[in-house]
Amino acid sequence: MKLIIEIITGAISLLAGMWITIKAFFSPVVTVQYPRQVIDITPMFRGHTKLLADENPDRTRCIACGICERNCPSNAIKKVEGEKREGEKKKTATAYILDFTACSQCGICVETCPVGALAFSADYNPVGLKRSDFCWDLVKEFEKRRAVI
Amino acid sequence: MIEQVINIVGMANIRVIIGLTGILTLITVSTLLLTWAERKVAGHMQRRIAAKEVGPFGLLQPIADAIKLIGKELLTPADVEKPLYFLGPILIFVPVLVSFVVIPFDARLQVMDVNVGILVILAFSSLSVLSILISGWGSNNKYSLIGAVRSVAQNIAYEIPLLLSVLAVVFMSNSLSMNDIVEAQKGLWYVFLQPIAFIIFFIACVAETNRTPFDLPEGESELVAGFHTEYSGMRFALFFLAEYTNIVIVSAVATTLFLGGYNGPILPGIVWFFLKTYFLVFVIMWFRWTFPRVRFDQLLNFSWKILMPLSFLNLIATGALLKLL
Amino acid sequence: MLEDIKSEITDINVAEASYPERGYHLAIEARKENLLRVIKFFDDKGFYLEDLCCVDYADYLELVYFFNNHTELFRIKTTIKLTPDKPSAPTISNIYTMAHWYEREIHEFFGVYFENHPNLTYLFLHDGIDSYPLRKNRVPVSEDDKRLLSFPIPHEEEDTFSVNLGPQHPSTHGVLRVILKLDGEYILSADPVLGYLHRMHEKMAENRSYAQFLPNPARMDYLASLNFNLAHVAAVERLCAIAVPERAQYVRTITCELNRIASHIFWLGAFLGDLGGLTPFLYGFDDRENILDILEGITGSRLTYCYFRFGGLYNDVDDNFMDATRAFVKRMWKRLPMYEKLVTKNVIFINRVEDVGILERDKVRRFGCSGPVIRGTGMPFDMRKVEPYAAYGDMDFEIPVGENGDILDRYMVRMREIETSLRIISAALEKLPAGPFNAEKVPKKLKPPKGDAYHVVESPRGQLGVYIVSDESDTPYRMRWRVPSYSNLMTFPHLAQGTLIADAIAILGSLDLIIPEIDR
Repeated sequence: MKLIIEIITGAISLLAGMWITIKAFFSPVVTVQYPRQVIDITPMFRGHTKLLADENPDRTRCIACGICERNCPSNAIKKVEGEKREGEKKKTATAYILDFTACSQCGICVETCPVGALAFSADYNPVGLKRSDFCWDLVKEFEKRRAVI
Repeated sequence: MIEQVINIVGMANIRVIIGLTGILTLITVSTLLLTWAERKVAGHMQRRIAAKEVGPFGLLQPIADAIKLIGKELLTPADVEKPLYFLGPILIFVPVLVSFVVIPFDARLQVMDVNVGILVILAFSSLSVLSILISGWGSNNKYSLIGAVRSVAQNIAYEIPLLLSVLAVVFMSNSLSMNDIVEAQKGLWYVFLQPIAFIIFFIACVAETNRTPFDLPEGESELVAGFHTEYSGMRFALFFLAEYTNIVIVSAVATTLFLGGYNGPILPGIVWFFLKTYFLVFVIMWFRWTFPRVRFDQLLNFSWKILMPLSFLNLIATGALLKLL
Repeated sequence: MLEDIKSEITDINVAEASYPERGYHLAIEARKENLLRVIKFFDDKGFYLEDLCCVDYADYLELVYFFNNHTELFRIKTTIKLTPDKPSAPTISNIYTMAHWYEREIHEFFGVYFENHPNLTYLFLHDGIDSYPLRKNRVPVSEDDKRLLSFPIPHEEEDTFSVNLGPQHPSTHGVLRVILKLDGEYILSADPVLGYLHRMHEKMAENRSYAQFLPNPARMDYLASLNFNLAHVAAVERLCAIAVPERAQYVRTITCELNRIASHIFWLGAFLGDLGGLTPFLYGFDDRENILDILEGITGSRLTYCYFRFGGLYNDVDDNFMDATRAFVKRMWKRLPMYEKLVTKNVIFINRVEDVGILERDKVRRFGCSGPVIRGTGMPFDMRKVEPYAAYGDMDFEIPVGENGDILDRYMVRMREIETSLRIISAALEKLPAGPFNAEKVPKKLKPPKGDAYHVVESPRGQLGVYIVSDESDTPYRMRWRVPSYSNLMTFPHLAQGTLIADAIAILGSLDLIIPEIDR
């Protein structure tokens, strides 16, 4: 008798499971067909870092102090160089080499920058064919962005 | 000219040849379509779109898969038993071909109406066990052999409930010929008169074709990949296709025995036959994407301790009721 | 307790320690000669070995044993000093089984020889490494030790054959290799081989400042990275006595619970994938995607978060987060019955997992398991209740426990834990106080005072402990991670004995192991 009850409850449980999958079969899909459909990126997304513009739009805020370079745990910031221009109190960045292949997006550089020159970009799909494609000079990227505007 | 050919060869033989050609086409097309259908069914049950890039709705996906598999290297391991190793994948298709010969697609659309049709099907379906064993043994690999032996044990265990439930149908229709069984269901399909036999038959069929939930012998999270471990490229594809072909033939047999074959209002018989067969194929796929695997000893227990007594009881009840009514 | 120890064993130094500052209640300095008597004393009193590690001070090596109690929180730190030249200590693996691997690890990293240890071969490292990695100076491996450390090649016995499960296998949840000795279908012995994913996080901690180590814990356990982040940050806060504002504590609680739900959902999918049901994986990921989007909205990452900072958070949460979390909680409550019907009540699933892999309650203390593994046997031991951290002290929640310790119980504990987490999140969202999200005046270059601290966190897999030793410089002197999967994996050879392979794979899945955290 117990066996019959077990068989019947077992069969009912199997049918309940089948009902769930068949309901899912006729429901709309929950996937987004990337890359044909793209969803918006949240503003907090941690893409690679980018240099922000100063009040004077010709230069970035970076003063080439090197604090980010020293604090990066992965040694992803390879070279920060700057020069002192006339009439400016602090240095201006001329080169800022970021090796994105080592970056872990921890945010320590963004946090420790004394002038707030760095921010995360929303670039979620950088593409390259070799490792050196991910070694960027952020100053050059800044100038490219400015030229577009 | 044609009359001379017919005189020499004989009308019946021409009919057989045309029929076999038709069946081969049917098997090829339907198996290829089933690989696509499985992916689509799996995808939509998991709420995603599967196979949408190649061709409209992904219909050319099987062609892409076939090209990929043909392009793979046909590795033959060193110490295999060459005749058995090569024969295995090919032998799997033989039972299916023969079984399709006796299935009635429509009132007079049957390659050959053998008067012991169901017996032919049951006899040849046992041969598929042989091909699994040949593949496992010929691979010269202890893991393949374990997987093959497990498959054989599973197949043998589930043949008995299969046979007994078919016997119940035969009792009711008084004939072993497939056509007669379908004709006897003109009034009421046997699934309503013999629901238990249908359920047992269907579960036994799923086990015979080694589909989830009974696919432990070839389970992917298991240590061994079963009897087809050592096969690569197109040979592996043949096993894969054979699985789908097996699904179609067991669904076709189930349709004929229980769901009334080609009987149905309005639409031509052959359309009903295909609708019912492919509905059962869908149900088998539905099982795969819903249930986890049954452990091997539980699998055998289920067959010997539950299905077999149940099918015996069903047979006795059928016999008693037929005698009394 | 103090008096008991003093009366039982003389010639040890016993000192009380302040729990809020150090994380332990007693500090005992024993000697090599009376170590075994001290250990036996703790064993008789019902303590379990929480952690066993080694610290290399310049003139001596110190072995640190942490003991704790399942019934009442009382953490005891026992240390013995060893000479740096050919250090050796008696083994305690015959009393506490989990010390077996901990001592193996100390042997290959520090060169400490444990007398009477049955098997001192390589655990994480391999042939070809000729100095002990975690020593402060370069100490070469002696020839005798090299011979001791190398693996013996298992010889084939009659009627058995050895088979590798892994390292590439869909069901080992990471890169784990298990050498199974099979007799037909049944497993005679299962021997895990680790070290495929060893990245020396503990050495990295010694070479980086406290802040620079922040991205690392997330890479140890990528499914529960917020819990690991929290353990690291909380341990340093305990060492430096930094007071974290209430708002940050509540946000930490909410995000850690969200992470716990995401980890359990992932476990559910992977476990059922092992058993053959591939569909619940996709349904679970639908829910998990929701969580990942919520957490991406405030932390910017989807898997390896680096969100908590010393003293608070990196950035505050906004209204979007609160609304999205409330909507998620509502949606998840509606989805749970679906899992119940599809999986929990399924007769095939129940037959696969009921009465399989039973872990007896008296074995739990020897293995030092934690998390759902121990709660499945019926012991309500959860660090969130026993040692509340973050805002768990203010929360009112029940700890789900199982009965028999089989796989079904562990599964039910985890499913109930998802419900508990949902309740905690709802309660914490209601109580979320306004205020600052960062402590004031946390120095940029953190130089903690000299001393050590131990902090424990309940990760989804169990008890996670961080032991930091600081020497007033800006890099830690030693950072030791006590990971839950390490002791949980130790139960596998015991549980898998005599079972079928299919059962062994189900047991391995039910222990919820993440191999990168074991290998660190």
